[in-house]
Amino acid sequence: MEYFIQQLINGLTLGGMYALIALGYTMVYGVIQLINFAHGEFFAAGGYVGAITLSYFAGVGYMESHPVICLTASFTLAMAYCAYLAIGVEKIAYKPLRKESRLAALLSALGMSIFLSNGMMLTEGVYDKVYPSELFQGRFDFGLITISYLQIMIVSLTACLLVGLNILVFRTKIGMAMRATAQDKTMSALVAIGSNKIISLTFAIGAGLAAAAGIMYGLYYGSVRYDMGFIPGIKAFAAAVLGGIGNITGAMLGGLIIGMVEIFGAGYISGEYKDVFAFIILIAVLYFKPTGIMGENIDDTRV
Amino acid sequence: MRKRVLSIMVMGLILVPFLFSAVSAKTLRIGSMSPLTGPYASDGTDIKNGVRTAIEVFEEAGGIPGYDKIEFFPQDTACDPRQAVAAANKLINLKVVGVVGAYCSSSTIPSSEVLDEESIPMITPASTHQDVTDRGLPYMFRMCGRDDDQAPAAAKFMKEALKAKTIFIVDDKTTYSQGLADGVAKACKALGIKILGHDHVNQGDKDFSAVLTMAKQKKADIFYMSLQGYSPAAMMTLQAKRLGMKSQIVTQDACFQPKYMDVAKEAAEGVYLTYGFTDPSTPEYKAFEKRYVPKYGKIAAYATYAYDSATALLKAIKAAGSTDPAKIKAELMKLDYQGVAKHVKFKPNGDSGSSYIAFKIANGKFVPYWEPEKGLIK
Repeated sequence: MEYFIQQLINGLTLGGMYALIALGYTMVYGVIQLINFAHGEFFAAGGYVGAITLSYFAGVGYMESHPVICLTASFTLAMAYCAYLAIGVEKIAYKPLRKESRLAALLSALGMSIFLSNGMMLTEGVYDKVYPSELFQGRFDFGLITISYLQIMIVSLTACLLVGLNILVFRTKIGMAMRATAQDKTMSALVAIGSNKIISLTFAIGAGLAAAAGIMYGLYYGSVRYDMGFIPGIKAFAAAVLGGIGNITGAMLGGLIIGMVEIFGAGYISGEYKDVFAFIILIAVLYFKPTGIMGENIDDTRV
Repeated sequence: MRKRVLSIMVMGLILVPFLFSAVSAKTLRIGSMSPLTGPYASDGTDIKNGVRTAIEVFEEAGGIPGYDKIEFFPQDTACDPRQAVAAANKLINLKVVGVVGAYCSSSTIPSSEVLDEESIPMITPASTHQDVTDRGLPYMFRMCGRDDDQAPAAAKFMKEALKAKTIFIVDDKTTYSQGLADGVAKACKALGIKILGHDHVNQGDKDFSAVLTMAKQKKADIFYMSLQGYSPAAMMTLQAKRLGMKSQIVTQDACFQPKYMDVAKEAAEGVYLTYGFTDPSTPEYKAFEKRYVPKYGKIAAYATYAYDSATALLKAIKAAGSTDPAKIKAELMKLDYQGVAKHVKFKPNGDSGSSYIAFKIANGKFVPYWEPEKGLIK
């Protein structure tokens, strides 16, 4: 039983990070029906900004005296940076192609992904960038179950971000405008909703969440590298599809399911096949429900 | 018509310097193959730097008679067998006389077949899998040790020095890491250490919590970690400590890399690993240190072995007095000198002997801890 609970905690931590990344895929798809393959790179960029700022704070000694302020500053900076990066990417790579075929935008997204990841490699080097280790070193031990402070921090912050996003999309005017744009761009433009603004905002929010996931990832695994966005990006994309692409609750659920399945597959069968289990679940769900778990009919409410 | 004559004359004039340079400056070409991008880039860069240092030192000492310059062509294998074969073909087209590389055994094995067809001598500084030299290729040499020496040494260390009764093994399924893990499992069985589990992870994984939770629950005395490269190993060490795993971590030569401690930090303290013995008090080592450290930083894993490989190759070419592969091979077999990492003397199969000892990580340094014959090192 302890073993099961321990794996559940591991799965929750990993799944939460996948969910945060998956949201970016799903929101962008909801608004402009584009799979933004460069999304994993926003995650990596966020991890880098976190590594740079936190190392700076640790270097000047603020980290020990004001850890919470440092962490808040790092998260804010990384999320803001990635939000602007995403707006820029959208303006350069996707906006000019909005009227073209969807395939053109998709290829542009793939190109952008390669461009960004190589850009990070050239500017930050091929080596791992290390996170300062002083943060959240402790852990609780309950018999065989171990929960580190870091896991508690990650899970609770993820939960806050997910709840915050839900409030933003379903309870505010901006959220309403986003949902309106997703449903019908022409009609929402007629009622004075600037679709360009909303699209930029969607990209920015998605990238901000990915950046937050990037920092958590760096804190949790100890280091970041330029190519770290690729595999989590693919997993998060699978999570978005699993949950029903375009559906926010679906992406959260999908991320958690993929994370759990990976951990339980590795924990009960073998670590060798953990990726296989994640994708078997994806195929199985899509076979019986092609629109994903929470997926609705194509023309229904999205975002 | 006049225009055409003129243009031909101009073309000719442009070409003259090239023709001239091709005739006058005679250069010797040496290649290296190692991962310069991807997860093992830092180990690969160490190899490149080691070879470059060797060439510089050799040129300063007079170079090779009859050649003005030694040209160096480092190639990136990315630890990918296909890219390694492509790199080998590129080096063949560049007409290199010898190659130092590769890093991953899974790259060295296929690329050496390609180089061997052209009879180009290849010396690997880092590939420890037994099949590298056991295939009987005439132009394949190895500067580092062998995994079938490393595995028994590791098992003996765990049995004698750590008094281990049980072990849990994890590898990441590369030719090298899995080959070594299987060897350790076999050697442990022979020594009566009980294997409580042997699990695998994938290359490129970052999250090891599931496997580590399983290992923690088994409560083995030893947690043996055989991963390709220091980076995943450092992450696994970090996560194991965070999970509160009590088992003693023992690992292998790929972690002999100061960057392992940079990533794993305090979690690396007290970890044991097996690695070939290098005497840091020899004048050869000190001279290398003096030259290498200011330029490239701390000496890591295979820089010394790469230096020795390149030096051995250049010495043999110089002694042979030609680029005839058979003569170079004959001279390589005659070599018998003290290198930086070890005493260089090749055996008929191309190996140069292993000398595995156990190191302990203490205060961020690799400290020699135990050797197979004499036991604990005081």
